[in-house]
Amino acid sequence: MTGEPRRVLVLVPFPMTSDQIALRAAQATEAGLPPGIELDYRSVRAAPSGYVSQHDYVLADVSILEAGLNAQDDGYDAVCVDTVSDSGTAALRSMLDIPVVAAGKSMYAVALMLGRTFGILSMWTRWFGLYERSLREVGLGAQCAGMRAIDVHPDNRNLLGGKEDEVLPRLLEAGIELIEEDGADVICLGSTTMHEAHGYLQERLPVPVINPGPLSYLVAEALTALDLTHSRASYPRPLVSKESMLVEMLGAAVRAEAEQDRPS
Amino acid sequence: MKRVLVLVPFPLDDEGIANRSAQTAEVLLRPDVSFEFQAVRAGPTSFVSPHDWILLALGIFEAGLNAEEDGFDAVVIDTVSDSGVDELRSMLDIPVVGPGRASLLFALTLGSRFGILAQWEPALARYRKVIPEWGLTDHCAAVGHFGTPPDFAALIAGKEEEILPRMEEACWRLIGAGSDVIVLGSTTMHQAHGYLAEVLPVPVINPGPVSYKLVEAMMSLGLAQSRRAHPRPLSPKPAMIRTMLEAAAAHEIGHG
Repeated sequence: MTGEPRRVLVLVPFPMTSDQIALRAAQATEAGLPPGIELDYRSVRAAPSGYVSQHDYVLADVSILEAGLNAQDDGYDAVCVDTVSDSGTAALRSMLDIPVVAAGKSMYAVALMLGRTFGILSMWTRWFGLYERSLREVGLGAQCAGMRAIDVHPDNRNLLGGKEDEVLPRLLEAGIELIEEDGADVICLGSTTMHEAHGYLQERLPVPVINPGPLSYLVAEALTALDLTHSRASYPRPLVSKESMLVEMLGAAVRAEAEQDRPS
Repeated sequence: MKRVLVLVPFPLDDEGIANRSAQTAEVLLRPDVSFEFQAVRAGPTSFVSPHDWILLALGIFEAGLNAEEDGFDAVVIDTVSDSGVDELRSMLDIPVVGPGRASLLFALTLGSRFGILAQWEPALARYRKVIPEWGLTDHCAAVGHFGTPPDFAALIAGKEEEILPRMEEACWRLIGAGSDVIVLGSTTMHQAHGYLAEVLPVPVINPGPVSYKLVEAMMSLGLAQSRRAHPRPLSPKPAMIRTMLEAAAAHEIGHG
């Protein structure tokens, strides 16, 4: 079997500059992808400022759905959504036939291939709600031994930049607590923005540590190689699709954001 | 080049092994990973009873014990029963992947509930045992079968016209019972995958090839089983295990 080049669209859930996108794209080197896989990164046009409330979740869902709507027409073979919240993935799956990889669900499934339980290591307790949402959807909450966060306000654009000395030892400590006190056999990083901490933690923790972004790229590679995609029975098409309405809505969101930023 | 050892759970001849290793042609694999198939020395004749399960687990355990010393980078078990996987994981640091649990979990990333296509009625007992053990009871829509005894060497070759329609019919029953994804209940069904994937409206998981892609991903990410879930024995007995399987193989020659 020979491989045609396969193109994967990675949707970044916040509007970003090219430098900030490059920090996200650095995850690709951590995945060790086989030849023939090309990753393109695309930011959403507008977004909530963080993922801490239901208000934010619904805006994230809509903006990611809109950003990926044309992926299939644009010739992509798969879509990855670069957030453990799995925002927008279910809606995108209802619209696209190409595989749409949910980084969170994929991470929990793979964690249970390596151990009986997993723990989620996070920057911020206010992200726990989005893990609970995704775990409920995939129905694997019973195997989650615990969630721990270090409560350092995360920077979803510049990631750890400059804060490594403060952040890394605290993440390590919380990881040890997840293992020793909560009983986690595997550690799941609670955000793709934590990828810069993965190497440090894996070197020091005695259990597997899953880096969700790189894993999602390899899952996309596997799905395209296996010619598999999500089930239409779980993700039915709408009776009437409102693609142009979604595009108009995000255009309006961008204008509203610009309006707000304009000096008065 | 990374090397993956694929353990075949029955002591098959070269032709039987070739029917198994044909699974690697059904998926696009990385150019920098090779898959080498090797059969166990001895094992049960059927796979329908706890007597069979324990012999299969021990045979696979023995066959993979030296994988790390032999220079392999990972081990895959060529049976959806995942027999021997936990035992090997307790002894090896390289990733050991069983296609059963991995396929069911992988199915949940594609749909809400899976249905398992079993070979025949006597095979059902094994699924009834492992699905609750893996914590996946709530995700299983149904386990169905197509009423045909398995042929562990020839698989379905030569009997396609008779068997494929029966498999398809059983899959439609699984879909009717609420399965969003079909998981083939044995790696021995791989020759039917292309046909079923084409005629059915839901994803069909071919567990062997899925396990190869997952083991590739694990090697690429430097992941392996958690030692907490698979603790080492206080006193490993590899020589004893080896001797037991040599005795089993000699016994089978004597009674062959």
